[in-house]
Amino acid sequence: MSRNVKDRLLQASTYISSALSVIVLAAIIIYLVVNGVSSLSMHLLTGDYYASTANSGVKSDYVYNEPTASYDGEGYYSSKWGIAVEDIVTAHNDEELSVTYVDPNSPFAHMESLVAGQDGQDSALGVGDLIQNVYYEDASGETVFLSKVRMGDAENLIMTLDNEAVAIVSCNFEGLGGGIRGSIIATLYLIVISLVISLPIGIASAIYLHEYANKSKINKLIRQGIDTLTGVPSIIYGLMGVAVLFPVTQLVGATSTSILLGGLTLAIILLPTIISSTEEALIVVPQSLRDGSLSLGATKSQTIFKVVLPCAINGILTGVLLGIGRVIGESAALVYTTSTVISDNPGILTQGTSLSLMIWSIMSGEQPNYQLASAISLIILVIVFVINFIVKIIGKRLARSFM
Amino acid sequence: MLIDKKRDKRNKSIDKFFHGFFMAMAMLSASFIVIIVLFVFAKGISPFLPGYEYGQVNLFDFLTGTTYRQDQGIYGVGFIIINTLVCSFFALLISFPISVLTALFIGKVAPKKLGAAMQSIVELLASVPSVVYGVFASGVITVGVRQIASAMGIATFGGSSMLAVIILLAIMIFPTLTSMSVTAIKAVDKDLEQASLALGATKTQTNFKIVLTAAKSGIFAGAILGLGRAFGEATAVAMVAGNKLFGPTFNPFDITRTLTSTMLVGLKETTGLDYDIRFSVGLVLIAVIFISNWILNMVKKRVGRNA
Repeated sequence: MSRNVKDRLLQASTYISSALSVIVLAAIIIYLVVNGVSSLSMHLLTGDYYASTANSGVKSDYVYNEPTASYDGEGYYSSKWGIAVEDIVTAHNDEELSVTYVDPNSPFAHMESLVAGQDGQDSALGVGDLIQNVYYEDASGETVFLSKVRMGDAENLIMTLDNEAVAIVSCNFEGLGGGIRGSIIATLYLIVISLVISLPIGIASAIYLHEYANKSKINKLIRQGIDTLTGVPSIIYGLMGVAVLFPVTQLVGATSTSILLGGLTLAIILLPTIISSTEEALIVVPQSLRDGSLSLGATKSQTIFKVVLPCAINGILTGVLLGIGRVIGESAALVYTTSTVISDNPGILTQGTSLSLMIWSIMSGEQPNYQLASAISLIILVIVFVINFIVKIIGKRLARSFM
Repeated sequence: MLIDKKRDKRNKSIDKFFHGFFMAMAMLSASFIVIIVLFVFAKGISPFLPGYEYGQVNLFDFLTGTTYRQDQGIYGVGFIIINTLVCSFFALLISFPISVLTALFIGKVAPKKLGAAMQSIVELLASVPSVVYGVFASGVITVGVRQIASAMGIATFGGSSMLAVIILLAIMIFPTLTSMSVTAIKAVDKDLEQASLALGATKTQTNFKIVLTAAKSGIFAGAILGLGRAFGEATAVAMVAGNKLFGPTFNPFDITRTLTSTMLVGLKETTGLDYDIRFSVGLVLIAVIFISNWILNMVKKRVGRNA
């Protein structure tokens, strides 16, 4: 083979290899968008994961009024009762009747709970709720029960209510569920707990390594220990968390694995990241600044706090951002430390899942929920990519700052 | 000039305090690795000691066993170790050439802007969380494997298979391998390249014969790091491994079980033998990573010497 052809082939192989990784990244993004984008909604971000059920009756002091405005959105609309309903198929493949609009004058908007223990509390039908059955009064004054089967589809329900009902009595409905609010809150808790603990330890360690440590054996050992932490798989951190840190969380009242335990474990996972990004920033700070400060009579600690650290703030910020990204993406360590039980109202000392762990929970069950998992993955990816982008900009500024 | 002796003394003691504080924090950070190993060791070894409360397990049977059934209380990780090694090795085998070629593209072949763009793509791939790769793997890779298998007339367990694990791991260690290789390639002495070019070698010949040879040690270090990642990758692998109860698995279309998937799957209670034995599996994982790193570093030294 001539040299020219061989060269061309070899060069082409580098192009092909690079193209492969572009294809993989594109495939990941396309798959997540195709599967997840339809689930993205405000309800997803603010809703509960577990569907709530309600049994509500129209309040006794409600007086019928014509609906205020006409509605021309999705679904079938009853101009008499001020309610619009559409047929949907839920993530669990159930056919349901979903409310798309409730007029403020509608009887459905003036309901109170009939459930024992909650009677009298406001419990109106809302957009997104799934109607299970309806009781209404017909022209002869009798109460008619409209079961799920008798309601049929949305069109039939609206027709029945429009033509036969003279008053609405009560109705059973379910919240949609499948929301990730609880996991978002848990993730925020984890970020705050882990950073609050990791930052001071990490920054102090970096300062010691760069500003104080000479080349003695013990300092070499310290550096080696911190470097080794980087290579430890996160699942091992999880084991360490339950074995070492669980007793610590018991001191403040935790009875089971908890968000606090997860946060503490993550704090240790973040240490190498925080240390190395702080140290990289310290390296860039010119020695002349330190010398200048020292020669003006400042002590070493004054120099560090007032001269060196303010210059290294970009590096610390990079560490914080990378740390946030790591917390959002972490799953294996949390399986052991926060449990895989999805919680709608997580507290610091209760169990709960972060966004990533929630994906693991819904994917490792009997019926994996690909739509929801893709939607959450998409949210995580966007956050992580944005963080990546900001870190890059900071890095560029850092490189320029002492030119 | 009048020196305020009192203030001077106070400043000195503040200085000393902070020196001590920084050092203590650094020591604390470094001590975590010791704590991790000690505690996982202590808890992982406990099921093999006499007087273990849920019934002592034979260490030899554990390490050489070919069945892992938590429902029957049989715990053998011998085949799981082999599975883990096989999966990670083949993942490295696929990923290594692609990463090195991509690194060469970024470092030497590509025009500057294209190279930078490619570097960003590698960084993005590195930042994708494990669990997201898992969703992608169970939604796309398993489907692909299932189609390939059915085209060849082989039935799979919904696509969950050793092949799926290998492809997934190859994708996941690619960013590590590539960025380490890029660093090594960019660090190659310019004089070497210019000498090669001056002797009449083409640019491509120089890249493949001189640059890659000179960057060998750094690329090898990347491979070691990547292999460690492959061993320790947990959630994504557990989603597509399928968790076979016995083994080892050598058929790429058969389900498999790795050390990490064993530790994750079926975790329900937080006491008892089934829970404690996961620490033992974790201990085995640490040992596998440590021993393979040690062996590969020896090889690396030898490779480096021959250069």
